[in-house]
Amino acid sequence: MGVSKRLKSWMGDVRVDDLRNRLTDLAEQSMDRHLRLAVTGLSQSGKTVFITALVHHLLHAHKSGSLPFFELAANGRVVGTRDLSAESSSPFPLRDAIEGLSQPSPHWPQSTRGLSEVRLAIRYRRAPGLRRVFGDSSTLFLDIIDYPGEWLLDLPMLEQSFEQWCESQRQLFMKEPRRTVAAGWLQKLQRIDWNSPRDDALLQELSREYSTLLQILRRDPHALSLLQPGRCVLPGDMEGSELLQLFPLVLPEPVSSEAPEGSLRWTLQQRYEQYRQQVIRPFYVRYFSRFDRQVVLVDCLKTLNRGEACFNDMKQALSAILQSFNYGRSGFLRRLFSPRIDRVLFASTKADHVTANQHHNLDRFLELIVQDAQRDMGFEGIDTRCMAIASVRATQAAQAHVDGQTLSCLRGLRKDTGEEVALFPGEIPTELPGSEDWTQDRFRFVDFAPHRLPSADLKSSHHIRLDQLLEYMTGDQFQ
Amino acid sequence: MSEQPRYQKAVWVDPSQLDTADKAAENSMSAQEFSLQQITDVVEEPPAAVTTQRLARRKGRWRRVFGVSLTATLIGAVGVELYRLLDWSYTLHPAAGSVVSVLLVVLALSGAVQGWLALKGLRQLRNVERLQTQARELLQHKGQGHAAGLLKSLQAHYKESAARQPLEDAILQLDSAYSDEEVVRFLSRHALTEQDLRARRCVQRYSVESGVLVALSPWASFDMLLVGWRNLRMLREIAAIYGVAPGAAAQWTLLKRVMHNLAFAGLSEVAIDAGSAALGSSLTASLSARAGQGLGAGLFTARTGLQAMRLCRPLPSESHDQNLIKSIAGGIVERLGKSRPID
Repeated sequence: MGVSKRLKSWMGDVRVDDLRNRLTDLAEQSMDRHLRLAVTGLSQSGKTVFITALVHHLLHAHKSGSLPFFELAANGRVVGTRDLSAESSSPFPLRDAIEGLSQPSPHWPQSTRGLSEVRLAIRYRRAPGLRRVFGDSSTLFLDIIDYPGEWLLDLPMLEQSFEQWCESQRQLFMKEPRRTVAAGWLQKLQRIDWNSPRDDALLQELSREYSTLLQILRRDPHALSLLQPGRCVLPGDMEGSELLQLFPLVLPEPVSSEAPEGSLRWTLQQRYEQYRQQVIRPFYVRYFSRFDRQVVLVDCLKTLNRGEACFNDMKQALSAILQSFNYGRSGFLRRLFSPRIDRVLFASTKADHVTANQHHNLDRFLELIVQDAQRDMGFEGIDTRCMAIASVRATQAAQAHVDGQTLSCLRGLRKDTGEEVALFPGEIPTELPGSEDWTQDRFRFVDFAPHRLPSADLKSSHHIRLDQLLEYMTGDQFQ
Repeated sequence: MSEQPRYQKAVWVDPSQLDTADKAAENSMSAQEFSLQQITDVVEEPPAAVTTQRLARRKGRWRRVFGVSLTATLIGAVGVELYRLLDWSYTLHPAAGSVVSVLLVVLALSGAVQGWLALKGLRQLRNVERLQTQARELLQHKGQGHAAGLLKSLQAHYKESAARQPLEDAILQLDSAYSDEEVVRFLSRHALTEQDLRARRCVQRYSVESGVLVALSPWASFDMLLVGWRNLRMLREIAAIYGVAPGAAAQWTLLKRVMHNLAFAGLSEVAIDAGSAALGSSLTASLSARAGQGLGAGLFTARTGLQAMRLCRPLPSESHDQNLIKSIAGGIVERLGKSRPID
């Protein structure tokens, strides 16, 4: 303890923790094969369901044939999988999630409000070849973490100063629907002299109003994604902390002068710095800086349903987030010292909410949304792919005969009312919709309640392309 | 909306005002504007390949005339000779005559059966080829709902074979959400497992056999015959495994194609072979020159077998063959090591 304390006093808390984490990683990674899978997605994009289904299928991979495109399982090379999440300080609530999905009237898991970890040990038989020298079987440790998607949006703030952040927020608040919703709050901000001395009651009141504002923007009918700071939307274990009394200074024109010490503006600046150093940075260093592979989950249907503003906001949020990750080739040595993401998969979730012939369009559409990020990653030499997936199927393919034509459609239970419906949900556009497309009530995708996911005897019909995703993400690791 | 164009507009300049008027520029045509109604789009037409086609046709015609006349002459000659044989045997003795006629009937019947089998084999081979092209097209295709034709043809192809059950099972497991590409990959992966395994075993067995035979055969000139015989047997067996009736004609066509593919093998395969050869030389250095020849012959048989598998498999395969070649090389060396009396 003495050494660590002294080190901390020399180098700062965060650096020592970082170093210690690196050393533990080093020890682990040199002994076994390790894979850290980043599951990235905005809130409500289906991260928790995805992780639940993935882990559930992997835990049964040794006997059920539910993953036909996952070579390891299809070849029968999985010896067994063990869930080691219990070792973590905050294990992923797998049992609850699976229980919820395997009830007679299954329901989707609750949205995530805190951070949790999954660690799986997959024991497998090696493929015939030279590596057999090291023994017949081997173990791969797969780490996944689940966290509220709202917090992810803090990551871009790491690279922004308070002034830059205020400026980016100012541009956001100049556009609808933020401008109308926040009109009262914005006027209040304008009336205040920000160089006047610190007034805690005023700041508290304004920040409370800002939080309420964020909550309104987050809910229907706005359903915006780019809401910062993320902890103001969902405080987690920081409920009531003074650090969260933070909001951007959205004034008609940017203030460039130096803030006088002890003033309101200065206080906000200090808080922003503290928030970055004490909240975001540890979170980033602990969980986000050391990934090998990344899955980016995007719910295209929700945004299509909600119109242009929501769609553009999501696009902006996604590209901001993707810039915060380390991309680049990870060689053996570089992986030991600073792991980089070398493969990224963009997955549009809820593929079961459209008919199967629209899956390709869904792929194309997602490609359009993430094309900038994808191009940047391609430049770094990273494999990227788009895939339409469904972690837990909620619908059944069916056919309807309408006016002498056969129309493929979906059958399932509505999420809100629970009644059984059959519908053809319409086509996914293969081009980004223009402003005239949004007005016609063109997109109406319904949310379905999940099909029952049995606790054993899984089939490949319980998911869509989860096996191909696994193969793409982990297939080359099982040698 | 008066938008500023992003390009430099054409500007008219009086030629006399230019300082140095270019001679060539005076002769060249000045730029003109046309209304959209005046113009028609230029359609690029592919150059017609008339001459080569006619040449090919003429060549083909002469060849066909030759073939037809030769066949007619041969059939006529053989027919007349057979008739004379029959006639002569009846004049010799009625018993001899009846024996000859029975012989002739048996000959005709077995010939017909052989011909029918050969035709069937050829038809199935063509069928496999068609299935493969269809599957390759589907693999490029990202949409959905075009795989039904392929499924039907596959079922028809395996109508009377033992492979039908696994195929039906795999088709039942197909998910409604799979795209055409995924359907083909799924079937290729799960419907033909049994056959792939058998074919691989067959290739391995024959390769090791021919390798060992060549290594042990006392006469060098006998080797080629040995290898050829084993290869032909192997082709027939592989074809049968993948549901192609093993007639002589099909076997011959298959052999031709395999040889063609081997002759024009890609660089990668040459590289693999170089690797195997290096491996072989290091392994066999301790054995003998004959053993090295045996290894070479075995590897040749293995390559032939893999090509045949690729040609007979109704769905394009995506597996890697390198492991098989390595294990065959290992197998041959192992057998030779065992069969070596004293060293």
